[in-house]
Amino acid sequence: MPLSLPGYAGDWLERSLDRQVRLAVTGLSRAGKTAFLTSLVNQLRHAGLDARLDMMNCAREGRLLGAQRQTQPDLSVPRFPYDQALAALEGTPPAWPPATRGISELRLLIRYKSRTNSRHFLGEQRTLTLDLIDYPGEWLLDLPMLRQSYHQWCEALSAQLTGRRRRFAEGFLNQVSALDPAGTADEQQLADISAEYARSLNTARNEGGYTWVQPGRFLLPGELDGAPVLQFFPWPLEQLGDPAALAELPADSNYQTLARRFEHYKRTVIGPFYRQHFRRFDRQIVLVDVLSALNAGPDVFDDLRHAIATLMQSFDYGSRSLLSRLFNPRIDRLAIAATKADHVTPEQHDNLLSLVQALMAEPLRDLRYADIPVKSLSLAAIRATQARTVEHEGKRHPALKGTTQSGEEVLMFPGEVPPRLPDADFWQRQGFDFTAFRPAPQTSGEALPHIRMDSALDWLLGDKLR
Amino acid sequence: MNDPRPGRRFDVQDDATAKKTTAPEAPAFEQHFVPVDPAPGARYQLDSVHHPLEEEAPPEQIDSALDHALAKPKKRRWGLLSVLAGTLIMGGVQAVETFQNAWFGGDWVSGAWSVLGLGVVTLAGTSLTKELFRLKRLRRHARLREDIDTRIMDTQMDGDRMKALCDRLRQQMGLGNRDPHWQDFLQAHQAHHNARETRDLFGHYVLAPRDASARRLITRMSSETALLVAISPVTLIDMGLMAWRNLRMIDRLAALYGLELGYASRLRLFRAVLANMAFAGASELATEVSMDLLSMNLASRLSSRAGQGMASGLLTARLGIRTLKMLRPLPFEDDRAPKLSDLRRQLWQQMKRVDDGKAGKGRADNV
Repeated sequence: MPLSLPGYAGDWLERSLDRQVRLAVTGLSRAGKTAFLTSLVNQLRHAGLDARLDMMNCAREGRLLGAQRQTQPDLSVPRFPYDQALAALEGTPPAWPPATRGISELRLLIRYKSRTNSRHFLGEQRTLTLDLIDYPGEWLLDLPMLRQSYHQWCEALSAQLTGRRRRFAEGFLNQVSALDPAGTADEQQLADISAEYARSLNTARNEGGYTWVQPGRFLLPGELDGAPVLQFFPWPLEQLGDPAALAELPADSNYQTLARRFEHYKRTVIGPFYRQHFRRFDRQIVLVDVLSALNAGPDVFDDLRHAIATLMQSFDYGSRSLLSRLFNPRIDRLAIAATKADHVTPEQHDNLLSLVQALMAEPLRDLRYADIPVKSLSLAAIRATQARTVEHEGKRHPALKGTTQSGEEVLMFPGEVPPRLPDADFWQRQGFDFTAFRPAPQTSGEALPHIRMDSALDWLLGDKLR
Repeated sequence: MNDPRPGRRFDVQDDATAKKTTAPEAPAFEQHFVPVDPAPGARYQLDSVHHPLEEEAPPEQIDSALDHALAKPKKRRWGLLSVLAGTLIMGGVQAVETFQNAWFGGDWVSGAWSVLGLGVVTLAGTSLTKELFRLKRLRRHARLREDIDTRIMDTQMDGDRMKALCDRLRQQMGLGNRDPHWQDFLQAHQAHHNARETRDLFGHYVLAPRDASARRLITRMSSETALLVAISPVTLIDMGLMAWRNLRMIDRLAALYGLELGYASRLRLFRAVLANMAFAGASELATEVSMDLLSMNLASRLSSRAGQGMASGLLTARLGIRTLKMLRPLPFEDDRAPKLSDLRRQLWQQMKRVDDGKAGKGRADNV
């Protein structure tokens, strides 16, 4: 990372005074990371004016003065496309911000009035620097690969290749069964099979709704498209023999070539991504889109649970001290958010929350063991619907009013959210069908409507804004 | 039967949110939602007897528990009672003596002072008697606060019900519908806020301004008490002042929150008032005696009087904080409760200001 010395020293000073926070916005693809970041910048820019941040202590006491975007420290990384996202939201018809295709950074300077006693000699106005990064959620899935060898990776993926997933990978499995691990590697053949594998991943994600698709770069290759580093695939375990015999194979064999590419992928693609963007976090918010997973069925739901539990192991958690803040930052506070809370009626929020807690049960236990404060909340970074009450057949029902993705205006009750995953025979009888809404038309220049962005901000940053 | 309800669509014309003027049929709606797995669901006949949550039949146990507790106090406060009785008798003897001396000595000014003092004592006496009468009348209100407390602790309550409860609190506090604080709260409250968030918002937008004025009131009245007790020379007047100012403060605080004190809490506060009186009386006697015994000079006499006054002021402030905590319709959030240390600083500053003023005046006289 090219950094000038004064800038670096300034960062250090800020960090030692605890006036710099790096917030990790973690979420798989389509969990709403970009919408969250857009809304976060928007709310803080409009704080004290027309943004409704009533659950944020600093804002409702009138001490939050606003925020400004700043040039990010790493000039080689693109800036977060806030204006484009806002333009999409304010367009006609309004649309969600486009999917993220690469890494972008954003530095936000939050200005506030201090209430602590030190304000008498340190000055009342303070600035908190908030660093945010946005990245394609697909790439996040690669992080667990860092701890695996090629053989372990094949083992893990083969175990998952069941049911519907196997059907999506049918073409790839046929092609790979013709390949001999010990045979001499043919560049073109490996490239073809890799392309077929990438195709199967795309179908599994787009049609099946699966979130756990590795390697993530296959879905969004960016500038690596067509490079040999992306031409490998997991070998189904039943076609591989004894691991010891495989290790003996010559370097130009199919198996060894793939293993070498896997290691290279880990070293040159995942490694830098992890080191530069994922190690130095102070706070984290995990965005989970439970409703889509419910829509897709029980296996996808399990898949999501597995994906998140594995992902959470890639972050450092622990309480902070001055030293750890400077040399080895760790996440000392965490929020877990069930996103798209505006897609269900308000009285279902409690259920949504307990469902997301059930989904995250495993990581939550570890976090509790590490004594990290966690708050879970139902959240909609940009509220797309309005909560209404409907009189239907003489009774009152809660309902939502909004516009679906296809442009049809509806008034509907989207269905009850189960407080935990329903059992198998419920899925046989009936499934879920939560409708996707498109954003409500926004007046240009006004703060975006939201659900509990203020609570989330208060939990993540409130103790720094005192 | 325990499955989550499927989604459904309605006609856009059916939207009834705007027509919310009629009371929402909360029970019917409640029955429609059969709880999913955790709590086994129960369906009731639509024609079975049911009430809206607000007018729920009160549980009988609270009242009887209260009766029980009141009928047989576990501990007689003999110490407090004897100090109180002792100081009352001694104070009475002292007052008669002062009055007699003034009468026979033809000292009209001090006689007038005694009459004034008797006036204060009478005022305190009437407050105390009124209080005793009111205790009986207020007994049926005892339930109110406990009721609100238990309901707020109930996390099952949704935001709308909580909002309705907040509306009732507003009416009780005597705030109009157009009150700016209430309007702020209404603007801040959104459909998705749950009971806890609604309570938080109500606390911040409607109660916090009241808390601030309550705090000011306590500081003001306790410093007044401190000054009055410091300058009054007679024990009985000290005690009378203490009773009068303390009860007055409790009343004004209650008026500020528009909440009538519960029977039990008033009894507790009343006991605190009695304890304060006993302290004021005893400390006044002790100061007198020690001043005579140690034959202090004028300056140390004054300072010991000031110390006695300061202590009385602090006791009053403490009573005020206790009252505030009991009166506030919603309990204080974690660290927002007023602390005696904050008030002590303010009280001390106020006393010092008076002192400085006196000193400044003294200097002006000398010049």
